[in-house]
Amino acid sequence: MSEHTDLAALRAALRDWLSANKPKGWREAYAGMSHAAFAQAQKDWFMALVQGGYAIPHWPKEWPGGGRSLAEQKVIYEELARADCPRLLLTFVSTYHAFATFHECGTAEQKAYYLPRILEGEVWCQGFSEPGAGSDLAAITCKAERKGEVYVINGQKVWSTMAQYADMCLLLVRTSSEGAKQAGITYLLMDMKAKGVTVRPINQIQGDQEYCEMFLDHVEVPVSQRVGEEGAGWAVAQATLSSERGLTLMELTYRMRGALPRTAKLIHDNARSEDAGILRDFGALVTQVDAACAVADQFLDNRMQGIEGMGDASIVKNSYSRALRAYSLLGLRLGGMAEQFVAPITYGDLNTGNWMADYMNSYAWTIAGGSEEVQRNIIAERMLEMPREPKGWVA
Amino acid sequence: MITLTELTDAAQKAFPADRLAPDRDASWRQAAELGWLMIDLPEDQGGLGLGRAASTAIHVEMGRVLSRAPLIPAMIALSGIAVSTMPDKQDWIDRICGGDYVPLNMLPGSASRDGDGRLNGRVSGLFEADMAGHVLAGLAGLYCLIPPDAPGVTVTERVLWDKSRRLFDLDLADFTPTLIVAEGDEAAQLHDIISPLAQLALAADSLGGANAALDMSVEYLKMRQQFGRPLAMFQALKHRCADLKTQIVAAEALLWSRSRDDAATAADIGAMKALANQVYLLVTEEAIQLHGGIGLTDEHNCHLFMKRAMLNQQLCGGTDHWQAAAGRQALERM
Repeated sequence: MSEHTDLAALRAALRDWLSANKPKGWREAYAGMSHAAFAQAQKDWFMALVQGGYAIPHWPKEWPGGGRSLAEQKVIYEELARADCPRLLLTFVSTYHAFATFHECGTAEQKAYYLPRILEGEVWCQGFSEPGAGSDLAAITCKAERKGEVYVINGQKVWSTMAQYADMCLLLVRTSSEGAKQAGITYLLMDMKAKGVTVRPINQIQGDQEYCEMFLDHVEVPVSQRVGEEGAGWAVAQATLSSERGLTLMELTYRMRGALPRTAKLIHDNARSEDAGILRDFGALVTQVDAACAVADQFLDNRMQGIEGMGDASIVKNSYSRALRAYSLLGLRLGGMAEQFVAPITYGDLNTGNWMADYMNSYAWTIAGGSEEVQRNIIAERMLEMPREPKGWVA
Repeated sequence: MITLTELTDAAQKAFPADRLAPDRDASWRQAAELGWLMIDLPEDQGGLGLGRAASTAIHVEMGRVLSRAPLIPAMIALSGIAVSTMPDKQDWIDRICGGDYVPLNMLPGSASRDGDGRLNGRVSGLFEADMAGHVLAGLAGLYCLIPPDAPGVTVTERVLWDKSRRLFDLDLADFTPTLIVAEGDEAAQLHDIISPLAQLALAADSLGGANAALDMSVEYLKMRQQFGRPLAMFQALKHRCADLKTQIVAAEALLWSRSRDDAATAADIGAMKALANQVYLLVTEEAIQLHGGIGLTDEHNCHLFMKRAMLNQQLCGGTDHWQAAAGRQALERM
């Protein structure tokens, strides 16, 4: 069988599976849901995908449903978006970031111990950012001191997604203040139930509590739960952060395209379908979303051919996040005053039709995961080869 | 079969980026010799049959160097003749592939036929008509070939701000067309076939130009020093360049995707052209601003790109038209 027919067979099988197994009426169920119920619904959907063999296509083939080519992974995410399934948010860090960390840098023992647990639904979070280390991640100060066979950790972390449900944490700590700031960073695996870990959810502008801050007070982490050597944590973190490389953005742009009928309905419902200004703005939005899809597709196609360039991923991200902002802004304009009244938010999607919530959520994509401004620096410095700014500013 | 990369490489070799707006007649001969006119023409009609992505690649490169050779109107006219039912069309195809210049008008005209079949009025938007033996006039319900030197035909140049192209009008007084390419329903069908080709070509020209204008601006910022450092080091300017690059790459991705998508409609392709042209306009506006005073001088190349971007916006349906068409189409589909 050619690769093409393989992909068609995968697509057909997945469509059948989804029509039988997709959570029915999830949008209604997720709207206004408690966070605890959301976490359970996410676990159930993850376990269903594990059973079906579609949860971890990017893992090696010894794992159930693993060993899929990038082309196959693309098909899977296209179909999950097309079927309008809930996104897997709760297990995202575990299946992508934690997996990549172990796969690239973990010991055989760490892989054997942690990976099966992830497949059983163990939830992981990231302890990377700090109040004083956002875009400048290498400036972290959360301190780890080696005492015999444990590290003792003191400090604060912030923007840890879903940390309130996490069993384990991928933690970046400072083990040395000597030399380059990247050189003193160590990568640890922290049990969230360990003594001294306090998690506080952050109230966000749209009423969600997706992110948390973490306070670490003399938390002990065994040395065996270190990934890579002491002081080599920065390189491990790069492996963690580069793990999804475009698939998520492709899925999200396809989902946004799939959600455009919601805007069309708003135009019809508000009797604006003969309004020339609205027609033009809608046409421009549809085209902008199509371009964001095309650039995400192109990125993955290039990756499959091994010709990914520096900064390509930044272009995909900024194209998506700007289209997402435009999408929610047009919805808000069309929705009029009705959108100014508080309405329940729906977890697990960025294009829900609660336009104020969608608008506020869209900032996650211009700020998190490397802000739009950081991406612009990458595009300017690595693609356009414009010089870096001189360092050495002293307050 | 020749790949797109090979085609692009050959084009960049023939038309290097550091020679902007090269001589028209020499460029035209070179393009004809390289077989570019027939790139999109099916093989059974004597063409290369390389398809729309291949012609798109050529138009990108011609946009990059602000080509004076009028490939776009010539290739669109050739495509129109090739799909027509004109009895002696193969003779015309062979002549055009051999380098005879027959352009399609790129703007709507006022000319119409009276009861005796005579044409009166104007055919607008004919590029480089001074080198045309015939023009293909696309009018309401009629496509016909007109020799500019025939009795009843007056050719007038309309001097453009865009210095990389020359535009002419044909005024017709009781001119009786004898070389009919298509009329009635066939003319409407022909229009539907060639209109998206024109949009694709103009989008490609726009994005080639946008790339060149951004490259030129980035190079200038790297070279120009103020406040004791290269301007390219200032983040305020870097971010603007990064945003322009992002918009160019996204529009290019859509260009290539639409050029290979046989199901893309006229509105899909027209809206893509509108996006590509908006990006071109934005990049050229920023290019002048980023160059500062030198960008306002006639000797610098900035204005050449800006003026070409402005003209592209007006050709074959403007931004407003195509955005509204895409909006209407999406509403009907959803």
